[in-house]
Amino acid sequence: MNPRPAPHLWIVAVVICLSPAACSDASRPTTPATTTLVVSQGGDPGALNPAVTTSGNTHPVTDQMFNGLVGLDEQLNPIPELAERWEIEDNGATYRFHLRRDVRWHDGETFTSADVKFTFEEALLKYHSRTRAALEGLLTRIDTPDPHTAVMHLARPYGPLLQRLDVVEASIIPKHQYAGHDLLSGEPTRRPIGTGPFRFVGYTPGDRLVLERNPDYFRQGLPGVDRLVFRILPNPVTAVAALENGEVDYIGSVPGPDVARLRASPAIAVVPSTGGSGGSVCQDVLIPNVTRPPFNNLHVRRAFAHALDRRFIVERVYFNQGQPATGPISHLLAWAYTPEVRQYPHDVRNADRLLDAGGFRRNANGERFGVTFTHASNHHRLGQVLREQLKAVGIRLDLEVLDFNAQVEKVFVKKSFDLGLASFCNGADPEIGVRRVYVSSNIGPFPFSNGAGYRNPRIDALFDEAASVVDRADRREHYLAIQRLLAEEVPYFWLIDSEGLRAHRRAFTGFRLWTGAFAETVRLAAPTGE
Amino acid sequence: MLTLLAVVAASAPWLAPADPFTLSGEALAAPSRGHPFGTDDLGRDVYTAVIHGAWSSLMVGVVSAAAATAIGLIVGGFAAIRAGAVDHLLMRFTEFAQAVPRFFLVVVIVSLFGGHLWLVIAAIALTAWPATARIFRAQVLNTLGRDFVLAARACGSSDARILLRHVLPLTAGVIAAQVSYQVGGAILSEAGLSFLGLGDPRVMTWGTLLGAAHQTVSEAWWVALFPGLALTLTVLGCNLLGDALLPRGIVSKR
Amino acid sequence: MTADATMMRWVLGRLLVAMPVVLGVTTLTFALIHLAPGDPIYLLAGDGGSPAYYEDMRAKYGLDRPLLEQFLRYIRAVAMGDLGYSFMFQSPVLRLLLDHAAASLLLGFAALALGSTIGFGAAVLCVITQSRVLDAVLRGSATLAYAAPVFWTGQIFILIAAVKLGWLPVGGISTARETLDGADWLLDVARHLVLPAMTLALPLAAVIARVSRASLIEGMGEAYVLATYARGLSRLRVIGRHVIPNALVPVTALIGQHAADIVAGAALTEALFGWPGVGYLVLHASLHRDYPLVTGAFILISTSVVLFNALSDAAIAWLDPRIRLQ
Repeated sequence: MNPRPAPHLWIVAVVICLSPAACSDASRPTTPATTTLVVSQGGDPGALNPAVTTSGNTHPVTDQMFNGLVGLDEQLNPIPELAERWEIEDNGATYRFHLRRDVRWHDGETFTSADVKFTFEEALLKYHSRTRAALEGLLTRIDTPDPHTAVMHLARPYGPLLQRLDVVEASIIPKHQYAGHDLLSGEPTRRPIGTGPFRFVGYTPGDRLVLERNPDYFRQGLPGVDRLVFRILPNPVTAVAALENGEVDYIGSVPGPDVARLRASPAIAVVPSTGGSGGSVCQDVLIPNVTRPPFNNLHVRRAFAHALDRRFIVERVYFNQGQPATGPISHLLAWAYTPEVRQYPHDVRNADRLLDAGGFRRNANGERFGVTFTHASNHHRLGQVLREQLKAVGIRLDLEVLDFNAQVEKVFVKKSFDLGLASFCNGADPEIGVRRVYVSSNIGPFPFSNGAGYRNPRIDALFDEAASVVDRADRREHYLAIQRLLAEEVPYFWLIDSEGLRAHRRAFTGFRLWTGAFAETVRLAAPTGE
Repeated sequence: MLTLLAVVAASAPWLAPADPFTLSGEALAAPSRGHPFGTDDLGRDVYTAVIHGAWSSLMVGVVSAAAATAIGLIVGGFAAIRAGAVDHLLMRFTEFAQAVPRFFLVVVIVSLFGGHLWLVIAAIALTAWPATARIFRAQVLNTLGRDFVLAARACGSSDARILLRHVLPLTAGVIAAQVSYQVGGAILSEAGLSFLGLGDPRVMTWGTLLGAAHQTVSEAWWVALFPGLALTLTVLGCNLLGDALLPRGIVSKR
Repeated sequence: MTADATMMRWVLGRLLVAMPVVLGVTTLTFALIHLAPGDPIYLLAGDGGSPAYYEDMRAKYGLDRPLLEQFLRYIRAVAMGDLGYSFMFQSPVLRLLLDHAAASLLLGFAALALGSTIGFGAAVLCVITQSRVLDAVLRGSATLAYAAPVFWTGQIFILIAAVKLGWLPVGGISTARETLDGADWLLDVARHLVLPAMTLALPLAAVIARVSRASLIEGMGEAYVLATYARGLSRLRVIGRHVIPNALVPVTALIGQHAADIVAGAALTEALFGWPGVGYLVLHASLHRDYPLVTGAFILISTSVVLFNALSDAAIAWLDPRIRLQ
């Protein structure tokens, strides 16, 4: 054939012939029953200090190595973790935690209340964006009367404190390791030491991160697998293919077009999840600029809401990974949620009527007015669908696509926009992620705040009251009122309560998908097999 | 072959009367009678998209190539005619422009400043002119020794005039060929950008279609096949045209 | 002075000229990044923070100093070999780049080897057999291959080889499950290398085939070839010893000329296959406003391109005695 066959071609040919062999028994000889769970991750974790970051790339990894003072169950109620019991005193102004005595750090040192104090004072309250924003000034003092008791003193009663203390929001880091090192980039961020079910083994940037079972974990019998490997596969196509051919066992997000195929596969289970690391119970919300026309007009906002066909959007744009949203609180926060509010079903005629009544007539082209939709490129499909839906009621939607950073700046900082979009995560409690969007004190030039510029003193008061009470039933009353009022005013357009889908191979079971530490209880489904 | 393409692009409004953005069908339907190329993941007709994409892809290609050529001609021409220090300076500048990693620069510009169509065109043009400059300079140097040029100088014609009226017509073949190649290259560059998701999202180009297709390629081969085919054929046409325009005796550098 | 010394001087001269070029590139990148809208602090620090928090974080990352000061500090650091600290990866930029450069180089050389072998080999075959049919097929397929965009041909390859037939992996550089080493690892990487290398090699092969063919034909007609025929040497010997080496000259020049296209093609191929090379890194870095990484990458890439050009010019001079004597 070719007069000068290159050596490389030979290697390629040989490789192709040998590939089935290379594939099947590629494992090195190890202890016979080592089970490895391989998880696909979309980006590099970076610095492995969970107490200074909210990154959705760091926490999936660190949440398996660390613990919080409390854990959360499926209903997002606090359960004991590093604290085995606690008392709430002074109507919620003082929280006394009694810590477990049998917890050791991965390097053998004993876990004490000094670690808790250190974590909060040096890390969380300084560098963790959400904790600092909520607790700075509110959490005045942490006392440690003995090595196994930590007392938190608050400036005023605060109901949702416990929801902020799980491993996702407040991982506890070791004082003895971090003392004297830079918390953001120091050496401990590359060799993390935690108290959790898995220990750090190694990290190759861009490739993989390996964890192994912690034999001294304080929860007996856990974890159920011996090794946990995070593979960094940023390309979703590669990740899904790897799941299908058995190279990975779990992927954290399923691209829409692949859902049907994965569901149909007998070896794979597709499961919805509500929570997890870096942000749980999220909603995609359209942000109108209510400080200027046309969205300062309530009728326009109501018409706009009626013009949206949420069902279609959820189906086509989001591939059914969620449900149409009805208000500021996702239905997944069941204890606080109610659907008994003013609804805005897809109703073009009603929208037309409202707009006509408001004085916005159609011109010769059938257009009433135009608004610009500022969004990031990953939402371009949504933009196109919205444009078509709004055309039907005579609103011209101009699409302005910027990169993520630029659009965050334009919408939240410069506030020179008509309509924007953001994903607001409610968090484990409405106080964590809902309040900041609707209170007037949170209107300012920083991201993921009250971007619409909505001011309502009644709403402000309701949120304050809801936070100052501890009993859930009481708090629910306040949140019901909030939802009813916000639905009437519709200062934001709630599109979808996200229910991200995860997929894993059926060989493994026990994934706890409502919390960050999803791998703690995973084990093999069958006694043998891989 | 290129004429066929131009005709198709021009007649887009008649060939595919539907707005390419209308969501007319089910998502990811295979080619069928109503949708000869199938539908994409939002339910848009691929055939319509491909036809309309022709216009935008061609437009970007032609405009950026024209801009790049213009800049290249000016720089190369003046460098050759003025010679000496000016030449040296301009050539060093050209070298610098060529050393910059072209593709990445465009990516960085577009990802930082946004994917507006004119910005894409400008970015591509600003990184593509050095090649033209070099070629034109070589050509000009070639023709400078000719008699009629010396005669023109003796008459007192300005440099610009000499370039325009005497040199340019002579080198028209090579320049035209170069322009053709540039158009092909620009179309590919723009497609690459759109593929990565950096292009202008208000405009439907072939690259955008291919980028979106990547997610669903295992399910819906048709979303990937047709735009890619269209791209290949167009660029092919440009290259062939360029080859045809080259004066005889010069081996194609492609 | 001997010919070799002249050449050394010439190469050094080229390298010296390269310095201001690299400096210019750095300045350009720096300016661009800082002119762009958007503040990277929101990607670096967490979401939901207060304004005071973001101010503190800006100070911590040194983003609040005046631009000129930031720039000068950066230049000084680069001169000492410190390319900064990546925001995204939280590790030194230089190390990141070098790690990823290995993957890029592997892909690049594999594609180059594959492409030049196929391209040159096909051209040689054409010339030896003197078949018209083969010639037409070669020219046609080369033109077609050159026009096709790499991210499309790559997709087609993936579709056929990986999805439908399942022979080869869909992307990435090594298998996800096992951590292999030694021969196993080499084989695994080779398996993953096949499709991306083929994709990138295609346009290369096309270009090389066409130019090789032209220069081979030209070479065959040279006077000295006919002279050697007259001396009675076999046709194959003549081609092997004389025509082919001379035809290699324009091929090498060609590769240097197309360096920019090769880099672009490589970046797109890396993006398509998820191949962890430098192109892939730069793409992600610019999307995430990772200033240090983007600037560092640009410096590295432009330095290598300049170096490569100088080296390939030197290689040409070495291969072709005619040029050397100029």
